[in-house]
Amino acid sequence: MRRLNILIGALSIPLFLAAWEAIARSGIVNMVLFPPPSIVAVAVLEWVRSGQFFSDFGASLYRVVTGFTLGAIAGVTLGVLTGQFPLVSSLLSPLFHILRPIPPIAFVPIVILWFGLSEAGKLFLVFWGVFFTVWLSAHIGVQKVDRGLIRAALMLGTPRRQMLQEIVLLGALPYIVVGLRTAVSISFYTLVAAELAGAFSGIVYRIEIAQQNLQTGQVMGGLAALGLMSFVADRMFATVAERTVWWR
Amino acid sequence: MMQIKRRPETALALAHSLPPAAAAAGEAETIIRVSDLSIVFDTAQGQVIAVDRVTFSVNRGEFVCIVGPSGCGKSTVLNTIAGLEVPYSGEVTVNGRLMQRPRPDVGMVFQQPHLFPWKSVRRNIAHGPRMLGKSRGEARAIADGLIEMIGLGRFADAYPHTLSGGMQQRVAIARALANQPRVLLMDEPFGALDAQTRSVMQDNLLELRERIDATVVFVTHDLDEAILLADRVLIMSAGPGRVLRDLGVNLPRPRSNAIMLDPAYIALKKDCLDLIRTEGRRAFDQSSAG
Repeated sequence: MRRLNILIGALSIPLFLAAWEAIARSGIVNMVLFPPPSIVAVAVLEWVRSGQFFSDFGASLYRVVTGFTLGAIAGVTLGVLTGQFPLVSSLLSPLFHILRPIPPIAFVPIVILWFGLSEAGKLFLVFWGVFFTVWLSAHIGVQKVDRGLIRAALMLGTPRRQMLQEIVLLGALPYIVVGLRTAVSISFYTLVAAELAGAFSGIVYRIEIAQQNLQTGQVMGGLAALGLMSFVADRMFATVAERTVWWR
Repeated sequence: MMQIKRRPETALALAHSLPPAAAAAGEAETIIRVSDLSIVFDTAQGQVIAVDRVTFSVNRGEFVCIVGPSGCGKSTVLNTIAGLEVPYSGEVTVNGRLMQRPRPDVGMVFQQPHLFPWKSVRRNIAHGPRMLGKSRGEARAIADGLIEMIGLGRFADAYPHTLSGGMQQRVAIARALANQPRVLLMDEPFGALDAQTRSVMQDNLLELRERIDATVVFVTHDLDEAILLADRVLIMSAGPGRVLRDLGVNLPRPRSNAIMLDPAYIALKKDCLDLIRTEGRRAFDQSSAG
């Protein structure tokens, strides 16, 4: 039974591709709008051979990584502060709770007004999307730190600074890591909005250009590249997360 | 379950040496003084008196058990001695100084081990000394001495989640002892363990107690545990929490679980049970009438 499952699992994607190829070439659909996987593969190969793939990939990766890193640092820092100090929380939490539910994509128009089509605007959008998720998870994580651990640490003479650095931060880490992982997919989602809003390179930019030229194969190849990139990022993050909070 | 090993002759051993001659000669030195302590909690139903004018003192080197039903405020009294809770009225002094916040000369073991899950056994025990400014090497030496004492030498580098409940609680005891506290507070430390492990832990604690200098206040709802371990038993009643009786336990030491068959032990237990039963009936009648 288990073997059968593995066998069927291994056949899942090839079967899907074969069905797609058959339908696309059957004449039921317009092949220009619905090209078979073989044509998509050729388009991707061409993309890679021209060297454009690497500059597009590099541009998108740079935006995601930089925006994510900045958003994560700001989110964890402010989340720990609002989680730990009621005064800071009273000052900032109401503001964050008002801004957080606004979908980050809705900020595209104002980002264009502020930053034009510059890189800074794209980083800002990714940062904005990542920040609130990470902030909330760090804030909740700090508040959910096992009170018993804090009492035990207090009884052992742990000073405030070490309490925050060692006990609170590590105690909140499982929550923070979950927030960061959610933010990985959010950063790709905001990347799409940022590149669609106007860019000069990037995977989503390439998809948009290909769409305007009716290169549907290239559009689908771009989607596949984006999906793969997001998938690999998530898997990598899951592995790192597992090693960071190994005691769970 | 392993037995506690003989203490290695190290610097730590000297620091944890037996009570000084003065205490041994019977010149009682009061170390904990609880005077007229009341604690009031704010609840949705209004204010509830958890502890009502409790007064007692503990002499240096004594092992005192506080026993009583759940909700009698015994843990609250202990938390106040620890400095984790502030009195509503009255005061608590340890070593002549008012307890207002936790202090390193007062150690505590909780019902749950509350070990730091990201630290090895050795680093859990070394945490206290590190926080008090000891060097890495000194803290490690203290930890290694205590690990030897609790018989967990093979597990020095193990992480808490790999240990059994009894082993975790032994680490928690060692961690509390690492700062060489004058007073060790224990809040139902064996309450979450199974019966077999609990009796082994009790015997371990009796052995350990012969070799450390600390004064111990031990909270439990188990009368057998209290009589087995204590020099004195304070019996508390619930609603509001009061001290009903302060009983000396004049059973010979060293003790072990075998003492529970001794006629003197049984007579003492009977007295306590009669007292608790009378008090329980009174409280029950009162609550039924009200």
